[in-house]
Amino acid sequence: MAYGQRTALDIPALELEEGCRVYLVGANGSGKSTLLSLLAFLHPPADGTLFFNGRPVEWSPSSLLRLRWEATLVHQSPYLFHETVFSNVAFGLAARGIEGSEQRRLVSKALETVGLEGFAHRKARALSGGEAQRVAMARALALRPRVLLLDEPFANVDRETAWVLRDVILVLAACGTTVVTATHDLIPPCEAGVRIVRLAEGRLCADTTSSRNGRAETADDRTGPDRRQGAGPGR
Amino acid sequence: MGFLFESFVASLGLIASASPDIVDAVYTSLAVSIGATVFSSVLGVPLGLLVGLSEFPLKRLVITILNSLMAVPTVVVGLFVYGFISRQGPLGALGLLFTPTAIVIGGVLLAAPIAANFSLAAVRGADPRILPTALTLGASRARAIVRLVAEIRFGIAAAVIAGFGRVVSEVGVAMMLGGNIRGYTRTMTTAIALETSKGEFAFGMALGIVLLAVAFAVNVALSMLQRR
Repeated sequence: MAYGQRTALDIPALELEEGCRVYLVGANGSGKSTLLSLLAFLHPPADGTLFFNGRPVEWSPSSLLRLRWEATLVHQSPYLFHETVFSNVAFGLAARGIEGSEQRRLVSKALETVGLEGFAHRKARALSGGEAQRVAMARALALRPRVLLLDEPFANVDRETAWVLRDVILVLAACGTTVVTATHDLIPPCEAGVRIVRLAEGRLCADTTSSRNGRAETADDRTGPDRRQGAGPGR
Repeated sequence: MGFLFESFVASLGLIASASPDIVDAVYTSLAVSIGATVFSSVLGVPLGLLVGLSEFPLKRLVITILNSLMAVPTVVVGLFVYGFISRQGPLGALGLLFTPTAIVIGGVLLAAPIAANFSLAAVRGADPRILPTALTLGASRARAIVRLVAEIRFGIAAAVIAGFGRVVSEVGVAMMLGGNIRGYTRTMTTAIALETSKGEFAFGMALGIVLLAVAFAVNVALSMLQRR
C-alpha cells in the first residue's frame, strides 16, 4: 500500500484465522490503520493479493459490497452522521435491507450492549467522545460482522468506556468473531492468549502470542488449520 | 439631504400602498429568479458533486473553468444568449427574446456555475471519514454518496441560495433578454434603472428597499446555513 511516493505498508504475508483475536501494535505511522483499511476492503493493495475465506478478493463493486458486509471497521475518531443515535446504528442494517421491528430490536440490543439504553433518540453529534465511541461500536455490533476491525478503540475514551468496550470485544471474540485491534499502547496484562502483530514503518517486525506469564511465542509455534483472511504478494 | 429624505418617505408610501407597478416588478423578479434557481440547481449541484467525487484527467482545468464562469459579467451572458435567441440567431424561431423565459435562461447560465462551485466546495470540505464510514457499514457506493450529500446538505442549500442571490440582483441579463417590458419582463433591477433615469427616484428607491430586503433575507439564510 502506498500514498503517493510513500510506501505505507509493505508486508510479505499475514494470515489471520477465523475467530482469532489480534492486536496490531506499532507507533503512529507504522501502517496499522492502513492494514485495517485493507482488511476492511476499503482500499485495494497497490501490489499483492488479499484473500478472504481462502479466495482472492475481487475489487468489483458487487463483490466488495458483499465482502464489506462481513468485515466492519470502527475508526479511531468515529464519524457519526448528523442524525439520531438510532439512525446511526440502523444505517448499516438498512443497507442490508433489515427494516422495521427487526431493525429496532437489533438497534436496541446493540445500544444496550454498550450501555447506552435510552440514547436512541438523542442527536449523535451532541454526544461526548466516549459516548460517540460507544455508538460507533454499537453501530458495528448491530451488524454482527464476522470480522471486527478496531482502530485505537481506547485512545480517546475514559476508563469506564474503555472497560465497556473491552468487555464487548471479549464477548464478541468468545462468540467467534474475528477481532483485530490496532493500538500503539502496550497490550493490557489481562489480555492473554491473543496474537500480537508488531509493525514498524510499514513492515511486519514481530508476530507473537501473549501468554499469562508474560512469555511470547512466535507465529511459527502456533498451528491453525482454518486460516481465513490474509494478505500477501501474488499468492 | 431634503431630496433624499423626501424620496425615502415617498418610497415607503409606495411600498405601503402596494403600488401595482412595484408589485408587478417584485412578482416578475421573484418568479424568474426562482425559476432560474431551480434549473441552475438541477444542473449545477450534480455537476459540482460529480467533479468533487470523481478523479479524471484535466480535473483541475474543469475546476478552473467553473471558477472562471462565476466571474463572467452579466452583460456578457446576456450578449451570448441574445445571439442565440434573437431573430437572426439559431433559436430565433422560438420567439424567446424579450420574454420571462429568456431571463430565466440567462439566469440559469449565471447561477449554475455558482451552484456547481459551492457544491464542489461542499464536497471538498466534507469530512473525509463520511464515505469510508458508510462503506464499511455495508453501504453501496451509491448509498454512501447519498449519505454524503445528506451530511453536506447545508452546503448544498448554500449553493442554491447563493445562485438565487446572484440572479435576483443582476440587471444585465434581465435588461438585454427581457427588454424591460412593463408588467411582463420588468424586474426590480431593470425598473430601478429605468425609473431612476426618468427622474422617478422615489419609485426606484422603493424597489431598491424591497430588493435590499430580499438580498438581506437571502444572505441571512446563507450565513445561518453556513454556521450549522
